[in-house]
Amino acid sequence: MKAFSRLAGAALGVFALAAPLFLERGTLNDVWSLALAVILASAWNLLGGFAGQVSLGYSAFLGIGAYATVLLSLRGMNPFLTLPLGAALAAAFSILIGLPAFRLRGPYFTIATIGVGEVVRVCASSVSFTGGSSGLRMPPGSFDFTLNYLSMVALAIAVVTLAAFVKRSAFGQALAAIKQDIDAAEALGIDSTRFKLAAHALSAAVVAVAGGLYAINFQYIAPGSVFDFRLSLSIVLMPIVGGVGTIAGPVLGALVFSTLQLKILSIPALRDSYLFLYGTLLIVVMLFEPKGILGLVRRVFNRRLRRFYAEA
Amino acid sequence: MQRPETILSVKALKMRFGGLLALSDVSFSVAEGEIYGVIGPNGAGKTTLFSCLVGALPPTSGSIRFRGREIAGLPNYAVVARGLVRTHQIVRPFRDMTVEENVSIGAHFGAGRRRGADARRRVADILERTGLGARAGSLAMALPIGDLKRLEIARALATEPAVLCLDEVMGGLNPSEIVAAMSLIRALRDSGLTVLMIEHHVHAVAGVTDRMLVLNFGEMIAEGAPRDVLRDPEVVAAYLGGDAGAA
Repeated sequence: MKAFSRLAGAALGVFALAAPLFLERGTLNDVWSLALAVILASAWNLLGGFAGQVSLGYSAFLGIGAYATVLLSLRGMNPFLTLPLGAALAAAFSILIGLPAFRLRGPYFTIATIGVGEVVRVCASSVSFTGGSSGLRMPPGSFDFTLNYLSMVALAIAVVTLAAFVKRSAFGQALAAIKQDIDAAEALGIDSTRFKLAAHALSAAVVAVAGGLYAINFQYIAPGSVFDFRLSLSIVLMPIVGGVGTIAGPVLGALVFSTLQLKILSIPALRDSYLFLYGTLLIVVMLFEPKGILGLVRRVFNRRLRRFYAEA
Repeated sequence: MQRPETILSVKALKMRFGGLLALSDVSFSVAEGEIYGVIGPNGAGKTTLFSCLVGALPPTSGSIRFRGREIAGLPNYAVVARGLVRTHQIVRPFRDMTVEENVSIGAHFGAGRRRGADARRRVADILERTGLGARAGSLAMALPIGDLKRLEIARALATEPAVLCLDEVMGGLNPSEIVAAMSLIRALRDSGLTVLMIEHHVHAVAGVTDRMLVLNFGEMIAEGAPRDVLRDPEVVAAYLGGDAGAA
């Protein structure tokens, strides 16, 4: 099973990297969106899945990355060189938020993070250097879709690899201990606040880079798009639907979500019912398979395997 | 034998929860290499005392000196890093992890901070000593209570403490498991550890400890050699309900 998903992941990665050679622009756009979704879901999963700290404020980091890229590009920087600066800014902001917020546990932490996302959105739409609510446009210049596409796909592959690496490391083990029993973790020497801050900063930095790449490709950002609460919601729902705390889960969840977004929400009659759809999906997953699609796949796979051995 | 050094000394420790004084003016000291018992009826403040010692609860006032340094008020993880660790009376394993993974967390993040092969060797050694070797690959949630108690001890040992606080590790064990637990505790002391233990089994604790402390309603009512303490009329009245033979 593990070997299979590793192989499938590698094949998916190679396919996505080679896609510009044989896919048309429209399809590539969809794969670009999918890669963005994979990055957001996998990065959120570092804190939300591995350490069990469910944050609903991740649009803040996407927005910080996007704004950093546009604002610095407008001052003459190469857009791609702004990415590490956006990442550092988002990581610093995540620590600033985390210091008070991580004193809260469970749902109280989640509620606090909703506030953070909203505060950042309101600030971005009311100060002048961000262009207010009408947003900002990237400076005119070279626009290379293939480069944008490859950057996003490469980042997606890097993030999934990073997640796999973290999960197997001592750092990942500390996060797992914090998720299961934070007091028992502290009783064995784990400084839970430090590990939560580190996971928060790491995932915030990744999301900010994705935000920068988003701005580079879209050429235009506004508080209503990059700081959208619906975005924060989707970032949480993807890993939960796919299988929270796993490596393949967020990727599967991103696949399902991107498809939903593209196919179902493009039907005008359904466009405004996204919350109803998301809500229904979340309830179905929570009720029937809390481990998400990946949990379902594993269950079916194990049953098949058992039947196979029983017959043999 | 040389006079052993004091490793832990508690002075005027007080813990207040709102209107309840859970510990009032508790003072004692423990010598290096000693097995020190803490007994008392339910609600006497025994577990609260351990929580204060390791920093899981910040004491209201008082001093806790460990290896010559003040540790009162330090967070739990920092106290563990200095070599003072406790087990939980109500076991708290990481249920979705294997026994080996549970113990390796202690080895990775405790006072030893070992990594890689070094940590694995240490974990294998502790699993062997605590009789969990055959269970290394089992998920913690699949273990019976006796093994879960052992796992609590194994995880605490993996942090490489100088002082180990055991909170009722014999509760729920059958007589032969209790004998095994007592010999494990003696072996730990012989390997250089100082042990503090809370125990409900008065005979178990009297048989293994050098000295003991009796708490009742948060107050110390006696301290000394088990034989003397258990004869103290106040202890008999408070703890044994006036019938010394019943326990």
